[in-house]
Amino acid sequence: MPSPEPEIKNHIRRLRFDHGEMTQDQLAKQAGVTRHTIMALEAGKYFPSLLLAFRIARVFGAPVEQVFEYHATELNL
Amino acid sequence: MSDSEKWAWWTLGVVVLTIASYGAYVAFVKSGHAGLVFGLLALAALPVSRRRYFPNRYFDERERAIASKAALVGFYAFWLAFAALINAIGLIKGWNAILTVPVWTLIETLCWALILVLGVQSLTTLVLYRKGPHA
Repeated sequence: MPSPEPEIKNHIRRLRFDHGEMTQDQLAKQAGVTRHTIMALEAGKYFPSLLLAFRIARVFGAPVEQVFEYHATELNL
Repeated sequence: MSDSEKWAWWTLGVVVLTIASYGAYVAFVKSGHAGLVFGLLALAALPVSRRRYFPNRYFDERERAIASKAALVGFYAFWLAFAALINAIGLIKGWNAILTVPVWTLIETLCWALILVLGVQSLTTLVLYRKGPHA
């Protein structure tokens, strides 16, 4: 049965490694959050605000849709 | 472990210590006001008063979201307990009963309410840090 919650996936972990194996701490400092928040984002335990999503995308120099991916479910488009 | 989790563990410890001390006082001392042990709750203010805890400490959006949710759950618990207490008094004493309560009892009730709010708030904080504020 599909989940009623919309799923937002991200590619932060891959992008960090693509950017010279950037550490979570480095990304956290550049995005203005704590390392724990980056860990929670990578683990899919936290969906960021639009502002934080744009900040993270800016750190990677990528559009936000390359960092975050929205998976619409049947119940929640 | 984040600062907020450290705060939650500390607060939970203070709550457990206070409840245990109250139980021990009632069980073994039996004289004077057991409510004096509620002074231990002042320890809950220690992390806030520490100089290195708040100055220059930036709480990001996830930490703020968790703190808000935890506070909300704490106060929900308080209102539930308050409504349950009032209804229980009404059911036991009768809806037209007039209560004469010593001020000391009111203060103790207030302390128990604080214990409830702090306990639920810190537990919720710990759970949300493990599951995320969207859990």
